Formats: sequence, C-alpha cells, structure tokens
Amino acid sequence: MGKYLLRRILQMIPVILGTTLLIYALVFALPGDPVRAMFGARPVNEAVAAQIRSEYNLDKPFIIQYLLFLKNALSLNFGMTFSGQPVISVIGRAFPVTIRLALMAFVFEGIFGVIFGVISGLKKGKWYDSVILIVSLLLISVPTFVTGFVLQYFIGVKWRILPVTAGGSPGFLDLLMPAMVLGSVSMAYIIRLARTEVSSNISEDYVRTARAKGMSNRSVIMRHILRNSLIPVVTYLGTDIGALMGGAMITERIFNIQGVGNTLYQAILRGEGPLVVSIVTILVLVFVVCNLVVDMLYAVLDPRIRYA
Amino acid sequence: MKKVSRLSYMAAAGSALALLLSGCGGSSSTSSSSTSASTNEVMNVYGCEPQNPLIPANTNENCGGNPIDLLFAKLVTFDTKGNAKNEVAKSITANADKTVYTIVLKSGWKFSDGTPVTSESFTKAWSYAADATNAQVNASFFSLIKGYDALQAKGTASDAQLSGLKVNSDTEFTVTLNAPSSIFPTMVGYTAYAPLPTSFYKDPKAFGEKPVGNGPYKFKSWTHNQSIDLVKNADYKGVQPAKNGGVDFKVYTDPDAAYADVQGGNLDVLETIPSSDTQTFQTDNTVQAYNKAGSVFQSFTFPSTLTHFKLDKEGRLRRAAVSMSIDRKTIVSKVLGGVGTPAVDYTSPVTPGYSDSLTGKDVLSYNPTEAKKLWKEANAIAPWSSSDKLTFAYNADGGAKPVYDAIANSVKNTLGIDAETNPYATFSAFRQAITDRKVTSAFRTGWQADYPSAEDYLTPLYSSSAADGNGSNDGDYKNPAFDALLAKADQASSTADANKYYQQAEELLLKDLPAVPLYYSNAAGVAAKGVKGFVLNWKNVPVYQNLTK
Repeated sequence: MGKYLLRRILQMIPVILGTTLLIYALVFALPGDPVRAMFGARPVNEAVAAQIRSEYNLDKPFIIQYLLFLKNALSLNFGMTFSGQPVISVIGRAFPVTIRLALMAFVFEGIFGVIFGVISGLKKGKWYDSVILIVSLLLISVPTFVTGFVLQYFIGVKWRILPVTAGGSPGFLDLLMPAMVLGSVSMAYIIRLARTEVSSNISEDYVRTARAKGMSNRSVIMRHILRNSLIPVVTYLGTDIGALMGGAMITERIFNIQGVGNTLYQAILRGEGPLVVSIVTILVLVFVVCNLVVDMLYAVLDPRIRYA
Repeated sequence: MKKVSRLSYMAAAGSALALLLSGCGGSSSTSSSSTSASTNEVMNVYGCEPQNPLIPANTNENCGGNPIDLLFAKLVTFDTKGNAKNEVAKSITANADKTVYTIVLKSGWKFSDGTPVTSESFTKAWSYAADATNAQVNASFFSLIKGYDALQAKGTASDAQLSGLKVNSDTEFTVTLNAPSSIFPTMVGYTAYAPLPTSFYKDPKAFGEKPVGNGPYKFKSWTHNQSIDLVKNADYKGVQPAKNGGVDFKVYTDPDAAYADVQGGNLDVLETIPSSDTQTFQTDNTVQAYNKAGSVFQSFTFPSTLTHFKLDKEGRLRRAAVSMSIDRKTIVSKVLGGVGTPAVDYTSPVTPGYSDSLTGKDVLSYNPTEAKKLWKEANAIAPWSSSDKLTFAYNADGGAKPVYDAIANSVKNTLGIDAETNPYATFSAFRQAITDRKVTSAFRTGWQADYPSAEDYLTPLYSSSAADGNGSNDGDYKNPAFDALLAKADQASSTADANKYYQQAEELLLKDLPAVPLYYSNAAGVAAKGVKGFVLNWKNVPVYQNLTK
C-alpha cells in the first residue's frame, strides 16, 4: 500500500511538468501581444513597452521564460500579475471561494443524488420514481447557464428568496443558489447511476440469501445493497470534485463569484502566462490527488481490491 | 484617445430619462423636494477590477479610470455636456502663438493627507508620467510638452523633469509646448494630468493600492476583486461636490450579473447594457432605463492602399457608393435594438463641435440609386471584375458580428457585388494585425475621445502625423489640406473658432471617406428603482456625485 502510494505520488511529477509546459506554450501562442494590449488602441510608446516587457521577462525566448517561471516556482515565487500583485496572493483570494462553492455543490449533489437515486432504485416503477427520472433527465439536458439564469431570475430577482449574486466575500446563503446550479447536473447523473446500481443489485443472489437468512430489511439495504451500489458513485464523485472546481467558470460568471473560474478567464484575456499556468497547475494537482483518493477508497469499499 | 473594443460599448447614466419618468409617475412632488438635498447614503455602483494600480498616469481603462477621476481633481473639469470648467486652475492663459501656457492655481486646495496642492504637485507628476523609465501607459499624453523626447531614452533617471515645465511659484507654473495647441487647456482635464502628493514618489506601488487625492471623494479601501470604496471628501473645494456619502464600486466580471443585481435592487447604477438585454431594458419595469446618443464613434476604415479603394477618383467613387448602400437607420433599430444613433459627422453628438449639417453628409444616408450610379462611374475608370470582392474585417469578441453581417449583405444587395466579412477572434489580435498593417480589406474602427473635443476625434485618427504607425491613423490617410485645417484650429483664438475649422476638416473627410461613419453607440444604462440623479456624462460614465437614493 505504502509503496503503491509513493509510486502514484512520483507519477505526479512528470504530469505536472508536462501540463505546465503545455499550458505555458498555449498562453504564449495566444494571438495578440499582451503588452500592446495594455495601451488599448493608442499608439504604443515603445520605450514604455520595452520597460514593461523586461520587467515581466516577456522579451526573452519562450523556453527561457518557462524555465525562469519553473525556477521561481520552486521557491514558491510565482511571479507578479500585470497589475503588480503577487500571483500567489491572487490565487490565495480566488481558491478559498471556489473551494467553498465546490464543496457545497459536492455535498449537495452527493446527498441529494444518493438519496433520490436510492429511493428511485428501491421503488422502481412507483410514481415518484418517474418524477425523479424526468427531473434528472431535464437537469442533464438543460445547460448550466440556462438553469443558472432561470433560477437567478425567479429565486433572486422576482421572489427575492436568495441573493441575486454572490459578490466579493460570499457567505453560505450567497453561495447556496450557485452551489445548487453548479451541482445540479452531477446530481442528476448520480441519481441515475445510483438508481441503476441499486435496482440491479437488489435482485442479486447475495441479497436474496441475506433476506432468506432472516436479515432485517434495513441491514440488507445498508450493508449489502448500498455498499455495493456506491462504488461507481464514489468514483464519479471523486473525479467530479476536480470538474467542479475547474468547471465553475460559467456559474461564477452568472453569480459574480470572484473565484478560480473568473480569475482564470480574465488572466487568459489579459495574456498573463504565470497566472494561468499557476492556476491550471493547481487544478491539475486537485484532479490527480482526487483520483488517488478515489483509488484508495475502493479498497475500503470493496475488500476484494488490494494495492501492492 | 481610446479605441473601443465593444461594439455596444454603452456606458450610460439615466438622469434625464429618470427625471422624466419620475415626473410622469406622479411622484414628482416628493422626488423634486429631495433632489437638491444631500444624503449620507453610500451608492453601490458598477465597477470592475482595474488592470493597474490606481495611478492616474498608468490607467487608460474605465475600471481604474472611473474611481481615479473621483479621487483626483485636475486643473479643469468637464460638465455633463463636456464643456471645460476651471477646477484647481484659477486661469490658464496662452501666449500669442499658443505654445506657452501660464497656469495659475487657486489657493487652499489640499490633498486628503493634508499636504497642499502646489505647482510642483502637477509638474513632478507630469514629468514622472512622461518618463519612459517609469513605464506609465499614458506617457504619450505628454508628448506635446517640450522635453518629452529626452525622457524616452533608455536609462533616464526616474525623477528626471520635463524641460518644458517651469515652476514660478507655489501657485504658478508655465508649460512650453513643442507645437501650437489650442486644445491643451481641455487636455489637462484628462485623468493622466492629475496632480500627485509628495508621498507618491516614495513608493508608487503602495500609493497605487491606497491613493491619496484631492477630488470630491477620498479613498477608503480597495479589496481586490470585490470593491473599491470611496467616501465623500469634505475638504473638496471644486465645482462638483458629492451629494451622497460615498461611492462603492462593486467589482463584476460580467455585466449580465450586474444587470440582475440592478433588477434585484442590490446595485444602484450600471452604465452598460449586456447584449442579452439590449432589446428589453427600456421596457423592463424593474429598472430605470437610460438611452441617449453617446460619445463612441463607430466606423469602418479603408486602407489607402486597398485596390479599387485608393485615394483617387475611382476609390472615392467606390467609397461613397459603399457608404450609400448601407442602411444605417435599419441597422441601428433592428440589429442594435435602438441603442445607437446613425452617424452624420466624424465626432459624436455629445462632443462640443458636433454638427449635423455638414456639407456632403448626404454620403452617409442610404441611397441605393445614387450608390449604383457612383459604382457604375467607378467601373468606367477601372472595371470591377467578377473575382474582386469587398471584405470587412472586425473583432468578434465585442458583439460586432450582426452589424457587419448586415453591412456586407446591404452592400451585396445594393451594388450586386461579392461582399463578405472576416472576423478576428479577439480585439487584441485584431488591433495587432491593424497596427502591423496586415489587414488587406476594410476593417472596423471604433473610437471614444479621452477629453471632450472634436480634436480628439480627428487628429489621432486622420492626421498625417498619426499615419505610418505613429498613431491611430490606421488607414494611413494623408491629406495636406486636412492637416492645414487642423493646424489652423490649433492656433484658433476660441473654441468656437477652432470648431469651425474642425468642421471644415470633417467636410474634407466626407469627400475622401478615409473611414465610413456608421453610428454612435448610445450612452445606455440602468439604475435601480428609487435612485435619483442618474445622468451619464460626455464619456458615457455616470455623474457619480449627483446620485442619491
């Protein structure tokens, strides 16, 4: 187990080096010169532009820029944004907000997805099973920005139940609606996943055997059906946490949440290489770590799986 | 002088319409009694994260520019219509040939840290801004002051001074210019010309996070990506004091979210209309809408080297034919949802010097018969072959697509020629291609002046000195007669005289059509219900000082 963990962690190094190089190259290849863009369409003062370029190493060849970035990153210096703020403090502001949002969405989709999915799977064919199925189908087929704008208009603007936008330092209530919007699609998938698993496991031999032995309905469901049904759900949830953090861009824009998605969007628009690479690297880390945790969780959920 | 990336760059303040609405609504008696009263209410207004620290000479966009304009009082200020009024200056007097200006300051002005505003507050700030070593994006604004070129050399000391600035006393200094300019007293109202306190030079970066100014508001706090909070400056001595207790710029990345917040009453003022709401905001009864002609001039430019459209007889005929085959009225009402006004000159309706009766303005109205006739005449000079086509390039990130599709179709249908569009993904890629002169077709150009003067719509865009990559004369239009009229205006004795020359110059442009005027983007915006005093000024920005609720 320990060896396996170490191997997985070591594997992360080439993954991160590869992604940073790729992202740096992509930002570098973006059309348009970020320094010229600072002047709008006013004639560029070349003396001033040269000064700015040398300040941000933009006058050096691509590979040197990248190596300088890596060298500084090793000492946790991720450079400065064009507005003169340390990249690390921009990230320090954006990530807590997004993490809060992603966790709320995660809890929302996890709890409601599993509950509705299990109810649906256990009582297949009942009227509420049909309702749950139709609603989940609707959530999957409607894009997030539609759900977002519709909820924002009715719940926020019209009925004034929840705040319209989240703003600067959002609290629980501010993030409630965005989290529901962000988690809604995944919730629908989890409902369907859990429903299928439960309804197929319910007719398995071991369930029949457990019932025949006189086990109570409650422990049959909890110990046999649920435990086996949740393995794919956990896999899905694990990979979804990364998607929730990186994919919050649309939700963040609708609800004006100053998180990772919004910061990344603006950084790309302004051609801020170091900021884009730093954010994406952290997102890659989140993905890799989540995958690792999911793999570890398998062993807990399914005693047949062993890592060596 | 800034190029405008968004087609629907609609900064707006709904004052006039708001007043009108409240008057019609029957609540006029209550609201009129409170309009003059000051309140201590803090207004929540639309803002965005500044691209640079809050330093006047290093800010050329509205996110930082709007707060900075409230924090710093310049020599002159502009009323809502764009007329200059002395603020910190007591007088600005020119010598006979308009090359030397003597500026006398009013006494008693103070920065909010208690230090006095003196001649050096201006001269040192301007020299700092002009000095390339300090890498200020507005440096070029000082290029008309003598000594500017010397400060562009590599390795100039960061505290070097412009040789054209001479301090006579604490309240008087003289400015020597490189060339005559009658517009200088207006220019000094632009953000970059703000005075700076001595504390700035100790640590400019720290100052940019916590600016100290002399304007109608004082800096309170700036939480990045959240808000910039300003409070009323009780010591302010100028002509536009605050009627509210303060202004909080709430940071948004997307105007759609801001619009929803205005509807919900969480945001008081938004001076731009998201494209999804342009068709509906005027009938939206959850907000107060504002929509008036604004200061953004939209056009497309013909490069002077473009085959068939060169500045010769054939080219002029073809340019006029294309211009007359565009139905501006329909485009404005159908495509833009009415938040634009068809163009009739080369400035804007809210700019002093605007005229709707220039000789030759007929070339800007839709006239298919005349267009076909002119096109035929041009064909007689040099034939338009079936392989020729007319292309319009534009940036696709500012909402210009429907407009340029409509233009291309209009031209195609009227003249019966092959016309198509060529979108660039981003404004910066588009501008770079234009600057590098790699665009070999007609291309979109949009412009908003930095100070309210016809000069700022003409000199940077069409003068010979701004051609060949030295300015924003992107089509490299050169016309000595046009330059001569601008030079005459520069030495004119009054603004009215200068404007006469500018209008004559525009009449030359209407003959040559270096750029084809399309429409003025409107100043459009929304305010929450209950907000009073919502007015948009000459640059489509709310007059924040007048807002109350």
